[in-house]
Amino acid sequence: MPQEETNQENSKESSSEMEIDSWTIKSEKIQTAQKIHLRPMTLSDIDDFMVWATDSNVTRFCTWEPYTSREAGIAFINDVVLPHPWLRAICLDNDRPIGSISVTPVDKIRGEIGYVLGSKYWGKGIATEAVRLVAAEIFKEKPEMERLEALVDVDNVGSQKVLEKVGFTREGVMRKFMCLKGNVRDMVMFSFLPSDSLH
Amino acid sequence: MDTHETQPPVVSSPPGRISLRRMTLSDVDDYMVWATDAKVARFCSWEPCTSRDEAIKYITDSVLTHPWLKAICLEDDRPIGYILIMAVDNIRKEIGYVLARKYWGKGYATEAVRLVTAEIFKEMPEIERLEALVDVGNVGSQRVLEKVGFTREGVMRKFLIMKGSLRDMVMFSFLPSDSLK
Repeated sequence: MPQEETNQENSKESSSEMEIDSWTIKSEKIQTAQKIHLRPMTLSDIDDFMVWATDSNVTRFCTWEPYTSREAGIAFINDVVLPHPWLRAICLDNDRPIGSISVTPVDKIRGEIGYVLGSKYWGKGIATEAVRLVAAEIFKEKPEMERLEALVDVDNVGSQKVLEKVGFTREGVMRKFMCLKGNVRDMVMFSFLPSDSLH
Repeated sequence: MDTHETQPPVVSSPPGRISLRRMTLSDVDDYMVWATDAKVARFCSWEPCTSRDEAIKYITDSVLTHPWLKAICLEDDRPIGYILIMAVDNIRKEIGYVLARKYWGKGYATEAVRLVTAEIFKEMPEIERLEALVDVGNVGSQRVLEKVGFTREGVMRKFLIMKGSLRDMVMFSFLPSDSLK
């Protein structure tokens, strides 16, 4: 995955106020989008990984429970992350991961996208940007893929909004589709095709 | 001389028109009626059968060994199609059915699906969800599921490859808590 240019400042906020005249007071806030880039994860990312992997807010809709030991985190990186066919760290300018995003083959033509982000970074459009980057590139990297899909818990509204903002199609609610931590959950199915347009 | 033909009054299909039983090799000739028919095979993953030997081999290798496959029989106990249940995972099962073309449009598939749906959750209490995937072009089969009371959840675009083409598939489901129509 090519690295994005990272010479922009993080979270730049500037406000300007126009001259007050007799009719209007106007202020504008301009917020520059967080610049992120994707790169493969390595074992040296373990401490940053533990920041989101130990957070129960983050794992709420994940199939896994929060990690409780660095050893378990290292095992996860060795056993799952490093051999994964397509998994990337989501990094800010300092190249340190704040989350990860992956595309896992379902079968020969379908890939499933999944992503996780440290809760401190929620609400800033970062996941949206990461998903957009992947949706823009993955079909070139994997030309056999005909369908990129995502399954989101009905209650995980934040994640549904990410996919809608990128331009995924919400296909429907699959009732009692998956077991999540002992409960059978309704899941919303989304898809993005090579012929679709990004928002 | 005029002959008056009166249409029989429309009645809902009486219960017990069809029955379900395991298939046997002796069903091979009835099996061939639908298995050789390209119109029947159109939305199926298989190509029409071309010989009795091929049919015997298929019944032996795939039908008799199937964990849950039942012949759909009329009163004379001869099969006019079959219905089956496949495991998707621990909690999901998928229903599939095929019927000889001569018997289309009479409610037989609807009745077979209703029979199976009514009983399957007792037979398999671990099932949380019975689902069906129907080609967007297969309107007849979509109607069968709707008439039984399945929920049409949505169209999954470019979901699978059927005979070399990428197909959009309609996803249906029926839960143990749902009501049959």
